[in-house]
Amino acid sequence: MNVYITDGTENCFYTAVFNACTDKDCIVTSSCAVQLPLGANVVAVTADGEKCTRVKKKLNEYAPHALKDIPLLLRRGCANKEQTALEYIRLIMEKKAPVKDMLSHPAVIAATEEMRKVTLEAHRFTGFLRFMEGSGGIFYAPFEPDNDILELILPHFIRRLKNQPFVIHDTIRGKAALYNMRECAIVHTDKKVNVVLSDCEDAFQKLWKEYYESVNIAQRPHEKQMKGYMPIRYWKYMPEKH
Amino acid sequence: MIDAERLKILTESAKYDVSCSSSGSRRANTKGGIGNASVGGICHSFTPDGRCISLLKILMSNRCSYNCLYCPNRAEADVPRASATPDELCELVIAFYRRNYIEGLFLSSAVEGSPDRTMERMLDTVIRLRKVYRFNGYIHLKGIPMADRALVSRAAQYVDRMSYNVELPSEKSLRLLAPQKTKESVLLPMKQLFLEKKAAGEEKGKNRKIFLPAGQTTQLIVGASPESDGQILKLSEAMYRRFSLKRVYYSSYVPVVRHSLLPDRCTGLLREHRLYQADWLMRFYGFDADEIAKEGENLPEEYDPKCAWALRNMQFFPVEINTAPLEELLRVPGIGTLGAYKIIKARKFAKLDFSDLAKMRIVLKRAKFFITCGGKFYGSDNYDTVKTALMLEERSEKYEQLSLFSTPETSLSVHTGQL
Repeated sequence: MNVYITDGTENCFYTAVFNACTDKDCIVTSSCAVQLPLGANVVAVTADGEKCTRVKKKLNEYAPHALKDIPLLLRRGCANKEQTALEYIRLIMEKKAPVKDMLSHPAVIAATEEMRKVTLEAHRFTGFLRFMEGSGGIFYAPFEPDNDILELILPHFIRRLKNQPFVIHDTIRGKAALYNMRECAIVHTDKKVNVVLSDCEDAFQKLWKEYYESVNIAQRPHEKQMKGYMPIRYWKYMPEKH
Repeated sequence: MIDAERLKILTESAKYDVSCSSSGSRRANTKGGIGNASVGGICHSFTPDGRCISLLKILMSNRCSYNCLYCPNRAEADVPRASATPDELCELVIAFYRRNYIEGLFLSSAVEGSPDRTMERMLDTVIRLRKVYRFNGYIHLKGIPMADRALVSRAAQYVDRMSYNVELPSEKSLRLLAPQKTKESVLLPMKQLFLEKKAAGEEKGKNRKIFLPAGQTTQLIVGASPESDGQILKLSEAMYRRFSLKRVYYSSYVPVVRHSLLPDRCTGLLREHRLYQADWLMRFYGFDADEIAKEGENLPEEYDPKCAWALRNMQFFPVEINTAPLEELLRVPGIGTLGAYKIIKARKFAKLDFSDLAKMRIVLKRAKFFITCGGKFYGSDNYDTVKTALMLEERSEKYEQLSLFSTPETSLSVHTGQL
């Protein structure tokens, strides 16, 4: 049995798919923590421009929607994301047609659910992300998403706060988006950075907490619902929950 | 900057307004501006009562000259009073918005002095926010009954949504409990805005302006007065049809004020929940108010209104999942809009059986009594068995309902910005 190890990038995954698609019961993964089965033959894949283009071309021919779906699936923060994506591609190659509406097929069900988890989290963070004003007037927002969604939420914040310099920092993956009101760059960072806050930041956080306390209707407690919509793991950087 | 004390007073006075959604508008950012509106709405936080925070919900002032009995801010009440200036509010909105705390502003006010004067101050805040602070985020403005027509039209050109609260579901209750308001003072501006929005939508090319892109909503208090659910739903239906309202909110009565004319107990959340379920049936499932509850009737407590309708109309069931048209699927208890659309898509590729439905996460607990899959039926021919099963299902869910992820229908009892 072959185990294809990719470096986690999209191109590398497509290169692996080139062989893996017809290689029955193989494993494709980017995780170093994967448990190798007995008799596994490890293949370390390096991105190959030509193989990658050929896979993409076929996908575009049979099911153009896949070129949007696969990158979403690969943003998922779990070890078997490549495997889910591979099964999805195999089905497309078998049917030679778009498959996204085959909602009772196991491969489509799995892929749809995983994609949904990514887009749902991205949507949630358009609301749950919190900026703090730095002393230089740059707004800093750290967050710890389950999935790699920095690039997904970035366009939203650039449209919305286009006249405000900001940094959005994924502290789990050690990467940050820097925006200076003209252009935006994504850079690798340390997992923790020190930010000096502006003088008024504390006052506004206090006002926000006051607002949060006051708008609650204490006679109608429903904490479980609150936690369902706003899971505790997202509270870390929300001033109103501290 | 506004101080914490006044922020507290002005927020606590505003919080019983349930509306909080920030959806329905696509206002874009402008050159040199801040903010835009997201058409689906965004929730920015959730409070321990399970409701979402999407907008900064606040009053300009709680110094009211009216004396509506149910209202904690009525003129005779002995409560702390405060007001905020337009600039204080604008600064607060911008500071919160820059930090991504909120999606925009929900501005309301007590009637301080005359309705016209109150509305003018609110309008001043809104225009300042748009023009001086260049804010393009979402603004929901509460309309003040009996304010001048011209003020109302002008406000609608700057805000995304407006709402006039009907509050009490009949003219009689209104006269008794809110003597300074009349039915006309609320319904006439709603009609005016509906007609003006329609006219604005018919304009072509350059003349076309943004006019109230997210439409109008209203709120009804349930349980403060004796109206039946049937009567309330009939009123909602009429408002949806005549003024094309985006939503009617139902707020179960919480006694913040003691008075001999008012009940001194909270109306259960269950009644409010059932009304929302019925409201959803009218808006997304093609039901008429009459089908759900007749004029004098209340909704059953033991199961949801769709189950109740299905039990009264067993002659339409079971329906075949693989062939039934969308309208019939939507009427099956336990199948929601998402589920129905999934079935329609999936059955084009393969014939569906019960295990397929389960894999697609379509809940069969209720639905199995009303559907067949490829001719197979796992329900019961005995009416009483079905009825008992549905009641038991509902009762076991009552505990579940309060747990983590509620079913799509139960989650509607919380008024999230996305709905």
